[in-house]
Amino acid sequence: MDKEHKGVDSLLLSDLVEVWETNSLTLRTIEHLTMFSIAIVLASIIGIFLGLFLYSRPKIAHPTLNLLNLVETIPDIPLLVLLLPIFGLGSGPTIVASVLYSLLPITRNTYTGLKEVDLKYVDIARAMGLSEKDILFKVRIPLSLPMIVGGLRIALVFTMGVVTLGGLIAAGGLGAALIAGIQLYKINTILVAGLWTGLLAVIFDGLAGIVEKRLQRRYGIW
Amino acid sequence: MVTLETILSHTADHLVLVLMTLIISICISMPLAFGSLYNKRFGYVVTKFANLAQAVPSFAVVAIVVPLMGIGFYPAVVAILLRALLPIIKNTYIGLSTVDPSMLDYADGIGLNEWQILRYVRLPNAYPAIFAGIKFAFILINSIAILTAYIGSGGLGELIFQGLVAFNNEKILAGAIPAILIAIAFDIIFTRIEKKLTPHYRK
Amino acid sequence: MASKRLFDRIDSIQLRGVTKKYDDRFAINDVSIDIEGGELVIFIGPSGSGKTTTLRMINRLIEPDSGTILINDQNIMELEPVALRRNIGYVIQSIGLFPHMTIAENIGLVAKLEGWNEKKIKDRVEYLLDFVSLPSDMFMDRYPHQLSGGQQQRVGLARALVMDPPLLLMDEPFGALDPILRKQLQEEFYQIREKLGKTIIFVTHDIEEAFKLGDRIAIMDDAKLVQIGTAEELIFHPANEMVASIVDTSKKFKHLDTLKIKDLISPLECMYVHDGSLDIESAISSMIGKNIEIAVVSNGSFPLGIVKLIDLLRMDDKESKIIDHVVKIPSFSRNKLLSSSLKIMQKDGHSMAFVMTDGKLSGFLFPNDAFSQVIG
Repeated sequence: MDKEHKGVDSLLLSDLVEVWETNSLTLRTIEHLTMFSIAIVLASIIGIFLGLFLYSRPKIAHPTLNLLNLVETIPDIPLLVLLLPIFGLGSGPTIVASVLYSLLPITRNTYTGLKEVDLKYVDIARAMGLSEKDILFKVRIPLSLPMIVGGLRIALVFTMGVVTLGGLIAAGGLGAALIAGIQLYKINTILVAGLWTGLLAVIFDGLAGIVEKRLQRRYGIW
Repeated sequence: MVTLETILSHTADHLVLVLMTLIISICISMPLAFGSLYNKRFGYVVTKFANLAQAVPSFAVVAIVVPLMGIGFYPAVVAILLRALLPIIKNTYIGLSTVDPSMLDYADGIGLNEWQILRYVRLPNAYPAIFAGIKFAFILINSIAILTAYIGSGGLGELIFQGLVAFNNEKILAGAIPAILIAIAFDIIFTRIEKKLTPHYRK
Repeated sequence: MASKRLFDRIDSIQLRGVTKKYDDRFAINDVSIDIEGGELVIFIGPSGSGKTTTLRMINRLIEPDSGTILINDQNIMELEPVALRRNIGYVIQSIGLFPHMTIAENIGLVAKLEGWNEKKIKDRVEYLLDFVSLPSDMFMDRYPHQLSGGQQQRVGLARALVMDPPLLLMDEPFGALDPILRKQLQEEFYQIREKLGKTIIFVTHDIEEAFKLGDRIAIMDDAKLVQIGTAEELIFHPANEMVASIVDTSKKFKHLDTLKIKDLISPLECMYVHDGSLDIESAISSMIGKNIEIAVVSNGSFPLGIVKLIDLLRMDDKESKIIDHVVKIPSFSRNKLLSSSLKIMQKDGHSMAFVMTDGKLSGFLFPNDAFSQVIG
């Protein structure tokens, strides 16, 4: 009782280790990042393919993107609980919801990136004797990469958010630790798990940002 | 069995929380954004910090408020503000500061003062960006206002969490569906206003 | 997949009644031309006259509504477009080097698609970079945005030559470069043209460039071919007023007598000036760093002459001072009459001169550029 009311200043290294161990935060982090990785890989594969598909069928591009936009406005917890009857409790609906939210940025950026490649490159590629397939794979896709990575970066942030909420529907992960802290009103648990969750998200976002900037610089965009 | 009254009263609570925090965040954000315009360093720090904070999961923000303020309606308001302020400040600041320099030069040249430039050049130019920021903030607030039921804010989230604990699907839906409808309704309204605010010369 | 070599050399290119319409407007209207193998034909005319459209029809980037185009008596519409284009080099004003590929990858792209092995591609790239006067070890692994405009255009030419095409299409290749660079690249291009031994079709809006580089000049106006012939034919027997006004520059030079150098000066930027005591090695890195191809060598206060980057790159003794390699060029006061200065330069074959103001270097004079400014 005493320990919990000492407040923020007294969070010592020994407390940190204790909180970490009693809440098995290593395990929680692994669960967290597993869901995160599965969702991101799935969303990237589906999103990039969908973007390519929309690029080849411009007619359905707008309606599809509008639909994905609608998904984006649905609040996260209602979306999660609506998926429960289909996917049960746990990591299933968490991953599905993450993918649904991530599709818009990845698909939209892939589609826009491909569509807005500077036509002078397409023209010169055609004049050099590249086939349409070569133009897509050697010119359009590589030139859209900075844009696609930008979409992925937004998706990373969405996914981190949803995966953390997964704790509410028994998916484990760091959200579960936060819930334990709130329910038992354990201040140290909340602080350690909360800061660690935030830090993790910021680190991943920062790494993605570095990749994005590298690509932009390499391509001479600025 | 969930009665219509229950749904309505929870929806009302949810709307109160959402609209109140939206209005407060606009009221706090705008002066800060305008201030950033005249203090570049402040503007830089705000945009950097906004980018960083945007990456932090909402649940982590909501949780961290608990040790600082306890649980209840007001801690929920604070948690929501922490998330919603920065996107509005950032968008407004970017909108106000990214004006074609030649336009500013011209305005300067015809003798507009700082206030007139703000009123007639910068602000109209920034409407779409400001609006996008507010729309984004609304979507965020509408989501987090459900989550904050977990720390005692009441509203539609309360129904969902009660339903989850009791495995009561009816209750879960009674909370989830109105929240989704609110989101969609506001999205439609915002899109309408956005079209009106966007000048015709810009597509 | 290697595509067939469609032709080893060009014997003839024939356009027969070629017409292209966009909506109701003619882009080109019933154009017929015979081009011989090995010729350099220049298309010139106002913008919108159809010169670029004509060029882009020869590699089927644009297809005619009616009429036929024959290369060595083969109708190009019967050839596979990808194969056709791999046999035709293409160089454009905006260059269009792919920003995501290194210089070597840009040049070697089509060779790679043709299935060449790494070694063969690398050798070819090195050969071509050397051919366009860029040291390959220094440029192969760079990205296009790290190169100056002139360097990029050299790479653009190297890229067009990778499959050793017998035909080159060039659309205002020097149009976007600043005057100093344009003159120099024209000069170099004129010199390597013989070595290339290719049939070249070249579009420009610069009559000086046309006279300097072209074997024959085709004048286009309002989607039609107005006249084709050598410079002399055009000047002495212009088909109509329009041709006369394009080629007969003398009329426009009437007021040349009154012009002074200061009216046509190209201002000096201080980055061009290098001290004579600099060794070649550091001069090269400074010039590449500043993306300039020519440097003014000064002895601290007075300009001694110029050095060119490509000459420095070829020097064996990189330790020696640039002052020992200075090329002297004339210098004139800014108030001197243009006509007399140009005569002096013409006599000694100089393509540039210093302009001095109060005993200090203040800019350059480029006769060719001066001409086009007067005409324009």
